[in-house]
Amino acid sequence: MKKIWIVYLLLIGFFLLYVLDYRSQSQLNEQWKTAGLRGEIDEKYVMVTFQMGIDYWKSSLKGFEDAAQALNVSVEYRGSTQRDIHEQITVLEQIIAKRPAGIAISAIHPVDLTETINKAVDAGIPVVLFDSDAPGSKAYSFLGTNNYSSGVRAAQKMAELTNESGQVAVVTTPNQQNHQERTDGFLATIQRDYPEMKVVAVKNGKGDQIYSRQSAEEILQDYPDIAGIFATEANGGIGVAEAVRENGRDQRPKIISFDTDKGTLDLVKNGDISATMAQGTWNMGYWSLQFLFSLGHDRNTAQIAGMPPVPEQVDTGITVVTRHNVDDYYAK
Amino acid sequence: MRNNFKSAGIRHLSFNNLPIRYKLIIHFLLISILPSIGLGFLIHWTVDRVLDRQVTNNTLQLIGKVNESLETYVENLQNMTFLVAFNPDVQRFLESDRELGSLQESAQEEDHYDIRKFLQGFTTLHSEVAGIMIVNSDGKYISNEMYARTESDLTRESWYQEAVRNKGIFKIVGHPNERNVTNHVNYKNSEVVSAVRAILDPDTQQVKGVVLIDLKLRVIAETAQDVRLGKTGYLTVIDSNGELIYAPSDPYIEHIPLEWLNKDSSGTHSHQADGRKLQFIYRVSPFTNWTTVGVFATEDSILEIREIRFYVVSFVFVVCLLGMTASFYLAHSISRPIGQLMSFMQKAQSGDLTIRYWGDRSDEIGLLGRRFNEMLLQINRLISLTERQEQQKREAELSSLQAHIKPHFLYNTLDTIHWVARRKGAVDIAEMAESLSKLFRIGLSKGNVIIPLSDEIEHIRSYLQIQHVRYQNKLDYVLMVDPAVQELSVLKLILQPIVENAIYHGIKERRGPGLIEVEAKEQGSNLVMTIRDNGKGMTEEQLSKLHRALEQVVSSEAEPGAGRSPREDWANQTAGAVRRGQETKGYGILNVQARLRLTFGDKYGLSLASTLGEGTVVTVTHPLIRDEYNLNGVDR
Repeated sequence: MKKIWIVYLLLIGFFLLYVLDYRSQSQLNEQWKTAGLRGEIDEKYVMVTFQMGIDYWKSSLKGFEDAAQALNVSVEYRGSTQRDIHEQITVLEQIIAKRPAGIAISAIHPVDLTETINKAVDAGIPVVLFDSDAPGSKAYSFLGTNNYSSGVRAAQKMAELTNESGQVAVVTTPNQQNHQERTDGFLATIQRDYPEMKVVAVKNGKGDQIYSRQSAEEILQDYPDIAGIFATEANGGIGVAEAVRENGRDQRPKIISFDTDKGTLDLVKNGDISATMAQGTWNMGYWSLQFLFSLGHDRNTAQIAGMPPVPEQVDTGITVVTRHNVDDYYAK
Repeated sequence: MRNNFKSAGIRHLSFNNLPIRYKLIIHFLLISILPSIGLGFLIHWTVDRVLDRQVTNNTLQLIGKVNESLETYVENLQNMTFLVAFNPDVQRFLESDRELGSLQESAQEEDHYDIRKFLQGFTTLHSEVAGIMIVNSDGKYISNEMYARTESDLTRESWYQEAVRNKGIFKIVGHPNERNVTNHVNYKNSEVVSAVRAILDPDTQQVKGVVLIDLKLRVIAETAQDVRLGKTGYLTVIDSNGELIYAPSDPYIEHIPLEWLNKDSSGTHSHQADGRKLQFIYRVSPFTNWTTVGVFATEDSILEIREIRFYVVSFVFVVCLLGMTASFYLAHSISRPIGQLMSFMQKAQSGDLTIRYWGDRSDEIGLLGRRFNEMLLQINRLISLTERQEQQKREAELSSLQAHIKPHFLYNTLDTIHWVARRKGAVDIAEMAESLSKLFRIGLSKGNVIIPLSDEIEHIRSYLQIQHVRYQNKLDYVLMVDPAVQELSVLKLILQPIVENAIYHGIKERRGPGLIEVEAKEQGSNLVMTIRDNGKGMTEEQLSKLHRALEQVVSSEAEPGAGRSPREDWANQTAGAVRRGQETKGYGILNVQARLRLTFGDKYGLSLASTLGEGTVVTVTHPLIRDEYNLNGVDR
């Protein structure tokens, strides 16, 4: 009778070994599947911007794509082709209908988009905002440049370039909040910190090279002694630089531009533009997707109660690019 | 005979020698486990084959789909190059070289601005495009995203030359390695695939410029990555030069040589690489000239197969466990009572006949047990019967012995009488006394049951001598003993009672002298002794009565009788026979008959024939016993 128990033990032992082997191999598979923080390729995250063809978004999109590569998910880039609030709402509605894994939005308007964003969040789709905020919406997070402080930085740089005295002007896009904030920061700083300086004009460049050039030409005409012009976005900066070069005066006004596209960098390099403000656009895209992934996968279950699952505000930083460090901003 | 049997046993294997328990266990295990293992193997084999075939087919279909979508992307790129070439601003830009100076610089810049806006439209609609660059034959270029690293002439670049060689046909040049063009958004060479097309003057067939488009590889990666093959299989895309367009981050094999794949437009191929066997399923897209390859490790079976195998093994395990338990239990339940029965029988064999099988089973084993009990009862009954018979024999012997103890004293006295008579000269008396003494001496014969025939004859002679003296001329006798049978041994005192009967009931009743013949001879395998007298004989009634009495002695032994105790039965009959014998005149004969039968069996005994007025013949059938000691030994 002892013999049979040995046989039983052997049989059960072998079976247990087999089960353990099977389980360990399955776990190996799981590990292989979820090595690191990895999602599924059929999880689709969408980036929505306005004016989707412009160069400015390409760096954010690259960040978005790089994060997708790292997380093994797929991404899609959508948006309004023009600066058109209705088109962006329509596009966003279409995207919500497709129920993606997450949406990163750059809001064309701080209020008008809120309803649609809330609709997406209520439908259970994680939404984060980047670059341009919609503060009243239910979106989980905003990642972008603190535009007011970037305006402050621009004012400080301007003061440094003009020896804290003289007339300065701003070419901006007044109906867009981020540009308005930059302008506000700039104006307030000049007024508060630099009594010798005065902002004599704030013109609308419509975010376009040609319009900005026209605005700059008007400024140059109206204020011949102008010491500096701050353009709140890249196309405007190029336009302003063109106008200043055409004007052909000995004492050229200092130009501070925004963003780091090729044209702007070239102008910084040859001295037409004195400085440009580099935003962390790649970071915006990259961390937007990381946040969305985190929201979609409940990675933060261990968080402290009452705390938001992802930071509500992330300042992606600003750097002043001048002739000294411009080479670092060219593509390698 | 015995040898044959043995070799047959060996031929039947030693299986026959196994205990029944093991036979049963082996039997049960064979019919439970072997089929389930067989079934398991069959299922596994079939599933393996079927799934393998299906996976191959599915993979080919998936690869077909992937190729289709890749073709769509590439076709889109091609369309873009045409759209770019159709644009009048672009046309002007391409021809600006030849009409140098015809355009104002500012107008040229405006054109460039327009072209950039136009190109922006493509990246607006097609986010998979990483960049578009238009280069004219002077080496001047326009692009939103890309620019030359150095001032060197872009028309000398290999991709430009490649486009020129293809004469306006769209061409994918693969990863942009070592080109003098960089992307402002930092798309690395490994992240894009370049396609080029030369724009020709339709009249002169001169190359006016080249459109370069970079496609983000992510699109291809997503298309290919979306497909999961088996457990660890993946898709990879290689171009017509064998250069890797797309591969996952940790591929089995870094480089797939083209010669493995170029036999047909699609197919499968197995190859040993890196110490493991890999299987390739591939299909070439004729439009893009790319080959999409599914790569598997052959030994890593498909996840589903592993799962099925797991269930099959679990099933076989459970069957084994249940089968083993059941077979052990069944074998035990069958073999244990058999073993018990066997040990009972062993005990019975070794002499303990009081043992009994206890159990209330009603199967064959139970029946066998009850039969065994009955058998033991029967044996007990027979043994006690034998004991009784033995006792009976002893009693008979004892009574015959007792009958001889009294004569012992007589024998001594007779001897004295013999000598006194001889001294006194009374010859008759002396002779008679001597004969009588001889008679007694042989009758006693030291208590032996078996004596030599010669002694028995001597005994008869003495007896007849005495009777002769007594009846003077009235009795004559003849002893005819075959010398060949002289040395045989016979049961003691079988002739005397018959002769006595013959004298007292035959000769004495007769008028005139009578004759008694005693004859002993070998007949067949028996010793036959015949006592013949010419006396009065018997009536039919007397004869048949005597016959019955003799047969009753016989029948009482042959049939112990059902129902009544055989001992009682036998005793009654014998007693009856004896009583009747006393009443008639058969006591001595019946005694002889009983002793013969008890000693030698029914085959032997007395037979009687008689005719009234003419005489009686008694025949004694006695076995041939050549060595009295043998028989005495057995008897004792």
